[in-house]
Amino acid sequence: MADSSDRFTFQFDGETLEARSGDTVASALYRAGRRIFTRSFKYHRPRGLLCLAGKCPNCMMNVDGTPNVRACITPVRAGMAVRHQNAYPSLDHDWLAAVQRFDGLMPVGWYYKTMTHEWSWHAAEPYIRKVAGLGIAPEPGNGSKDYEHAWMNAETAVIGGGPAGLQAALELGQGGSQIVLIDDQPELGGHLRYRKRAGDVPAAVIAQLRSMPSVEIISRAYCFGLYEGNLLGVLHANPHAGAIERLIHLRAKRVVVATGVYEVPFTFENNDLPGVMLSTGVQRLIHLHGIKPGTSAVIVANGAHADEVADDLRGAGIELVAVLAPGEVISATGSSHVTGIRTQNGEVACDLVVMCGQRVPDAGLLHQAGGKLAWSDERGAFLPVDLPANVKAAGEVTGASLTRAMSLPPKHVPFHKRSFVCFCSDVSTADLRDGISEGFDHIETLKRYTTLTMGPCQGRMCQLAGIGACAHETGRTMAETGVTTSRPPNPSVTLGALAGPRHHPIRRTPMHDAHDQSGAVWMDMGEWKRPRYYKSASCESERSCVEEEYRAVRERAGLIDVSTLGKLDVKGRDAGKLLDKVYTNRFSDLKPGRVRYSVLCDEAGIMLDDGTISRLAEDHYFITTTTGNLDFVQQWLEWWLVGTGWDVHITNVTGGRAAVNLAGPQARDVLKTLTACDLSSKAFPYMACREAEVAGAPALLLRIGFVGETGWEIHFPAEYGEYLWARLLEAGKAYDIRPFGVEAQRLLRLEKRHVIVGVDTDALSNPYEAGMAWVAKLDKPDFIGRNALSRQAEAAPQQNLVGFVMNDDAVPQDGAAILVDGALAGRVTSARYSPKNGKAVGLAWVAAKSATEGTEIQIRVNGSTARARIVPEAFYDPAGERLRM
Amino acid sequence: MSFLIPCPHCGHRSVYEFRFGGEVKARPQPAAAAAEWMEYTYTKANEAGVQKEWWFHRSGCRQWLQALRNTTTNEVVEAFFPE
Repeated sequence: MADSSDRFTFQFDGETLEARSGDTVASALYRAGRRIFTRSFKYHRPRGLLCLAGKCPNCMMNVDGTPNVRACITPVRAGMAVRHQNAYPSLDHDWLAAVQRFDGLMPVGWYYKTMTHEWSWHAAEPYIRKVAGLGIAPEPGNGSKDYEHAWMNAETAVIGGGPAGLQAALELGQGGSQIVLIDDQPELGGHLRYRKRAGDVPAAVIAQLRSMPSVEIISRAYCFGLYEGNLLGVLHANPHAGAIERLIHLRAKRVVVATGVYEVPFTFENNDLPGVMLSTGVQRLIHLHGIKPGTSAVIVANGAHADEVADDLRGAGIELVAVLAPGEVISATGSSHVTGIRTQNGEVACDLVVMCGQRVPDAGLLHQAGGKLAWSDERGAFLPVDLPANVKAAGEVTGASLTRAMSLPPKHVPFHKRSFVCFCSDVSTADLRDGISEGFDHIETLKRYTTLTMGPCQGRMCQLAGIGACAHETGRTMAETGVTTSRPPNPSVTLGALAGPRHHPIRRTPMHDAHDQSGAVWMDMGEWKRPRYYKSASCESERSCVEEEYRAVRERAGLIDVSTLGKLDVKGRDAGKLLDKVYTNRFSDLKPGRVRYSVLCDEAGIMLDDGTISRLAEDHYFITTTTGNLDFVQQWLEWWLVGTGWDVHITNVTGGRAAVNLAGPQARDVLKTLTACDLSSKAFPYMACREAEVAGAPALLLRIGFVGETGWEIHFPAEYGEYLWARLLEAGKAYDIRPFGVEAQRLLRLEKRHVIVGVDTDALSNPYEAGMAWVAKLDKPDFIGRNALSRQAEAAPQQNLVGFVMNDDAVPQDGAAILVDGALAGRVTSARYSPKNGKAVGLAWVAAKSATEGTEIQIRVNGSTARARIVPEAFYDPAGERLRM
Repeated sequence: MSFLIPCPHCGHRSVYEFRFGGEVKARPQPAAAAAEWMEYTYTKANEAGVQKEWWFHRSGCRQWLQALRNTTTNEVVEAFFPE
């Protein structure tokens, strides 16, 4: 019972309303006089409270920006902002209700019948979206912090806090089982809280459960799915003040489903008018909220519940005008609220119609778990049978205490446009009959054609009536007609809750802050943040900044942070053997102190990754991988190691090591001020490596040249990152050194025609067609991909990776189409404006017959065609002399 | 898909901790016939029933293991480190 001493205010459509503690949004609005809670999906018919249990779609509202919130199970809080949905300008005066006059133009399957051309849908869609539907999704990124994810384990999960669930939890708990009890209501007790004749809430059992340390009770949480391996999806509303919802992944050894039954409406004309309610909804308003939901009532009933409800109505001071059998009712009357009931014997005036509907086992979870739903004529329900091991049903969900409230299939179905079966998407009995007459007479096809059971209530309100109507119209029995498949989520789940909090990891290199201070403009590379380029006082646009960085490397010296490279330390007697097996190049004969480049292929000869491998000692190698492929390469190496018995240990040292590439004609002059290591080409030639101190820090120096200039890739412990970065820039001051970013690096390497695996290659690229035949050592007796590569080496290529130079000023985008003689012949993989050539240069895959020197190709640029020429060599220093200087 | 895999090192863990590594197949000898290599490289048995598979425990012990999984029920009969 709502406590009347504690009152506060909240907002509805800008109006300030009063609520009492214990109120839900719906009960507070109802007490404030609101009767229309929603406008229906298609026809904008007024809809009022129906089930009061979160099972129907009739009270969905926007609460604090979240759309489609079920107002009847959401506790109202002070200051809450509630807004209506799908009505203009207001719920009480909805201009869009005029749509209903045209219902003759909107038969079942309307889209399929009218949108027969693509243009018709494109023309109609914007208007349909405005006129029909539910709430409006919030702006992207809005409020995802308000949702949480949690993981739990239980020996037994009990779903449902009614008498059966409580009893099961108590017995299993006393037997020593660790239990999580999930209940969707704010308080335990189930139907005993509002059905006074059914008995008292077992306060002693609840107290005992709360005292047991092995029992955890989660209220205001519903289970929306029972998945493989007894994984339960649980949505917990308002777990604490800071969160709207928490999604719990609950894994249980055993599940007890005690979800009870729910009540479904009868079908008669205007059965959806506000004021036509389910009896359990009326009981909830009276007993949970202290609300009198009318002054004069008609009960429509066929079963044992009529007496009980009549007692409740009398107790609340509501006059009982008549008790009618469902078959007697022709229609409800009224326009925005019920004013009476019409029967064969005339009209009875009333402002409340109470439907004591058929009770339906809430067995969706049991069906999802693999159980079957078998029709029982005696119970008038589909009952859960053949449950899998470790899933049990308890209490009313088994159907054991059900009685049939009506004959099923019904003897008479009032096929009428206003006799609604599905309240979610306005499907009437007439729509079902039309669907069946058009050939959709199987319950599953009828469902898909009419959208019956596919709305937010997921069939709770409409499934039984839909099956009944289908069985009636097709002359089948209920059992022959059968049920549609239950699938999670049921009930619906907020997308924000499924997405959860934004916990996207971000990786920063040890020099991150130094880049920031130098004006880095950031880009994402997987989880990593890398400087794309550095904004400085001397350059305005990205292109001019990149060109300044480019010139520093080509003419003086540049420094780039390459800490994001994957770094693997490989040790052991058989390390060379493993690398020989997995990489295409040969490493067992590599001399300590030398570096070799290689690609890594799969058995089909497709290039998966590339990198350099340095031999530090007889039994010690150091591998670099591309930034995004580290995990893959490590797992790949370890996979091929399984079962060999070889002595190899692979350690991922990526996070522990920082790395920079110092490159440019004056790189040596910069570096030699910081190290005693002899950097002369004689002592330290191209493709050599040395371990030495740089500015006092222990470092590994690799003389390699991705950007095409004399340079060293320097690897050192991450804790020296900022220090060494600063020392190198300081030492380079005299040479006007510049830090450079990924964009300049990509341009520099492109001029050298150095391929980036995964950018210039894809899942069809082999080394031969990519022009890297030298990297596959087919004279090795065996390695991964050798068999396929040895065939590719002899096969005529289908396509080739070639370089091209533009004839004019056009700069193609990566991915642009290539035409030869007007026919599609390939695509660009990388293209940049090259200061060296004064024109854009790039790499492209071109059909083999056109991939010859000097061939003129056309490239699509900005909607027109630009001309380019294929060139065989690197665009810069083709002989590689500058690398070796 | 939410079944458990009994990792021989870590115990029963959610399949989301693992990376699937495909069917366990014997790699042909280097000199084997082209047809045999073709079979190994491109075809899969795709057994409807119990099948031997590679799994990598990415969010756990980071070991490759093999599992006997029924592909129709997702029941993992056994998981073990290969010899």
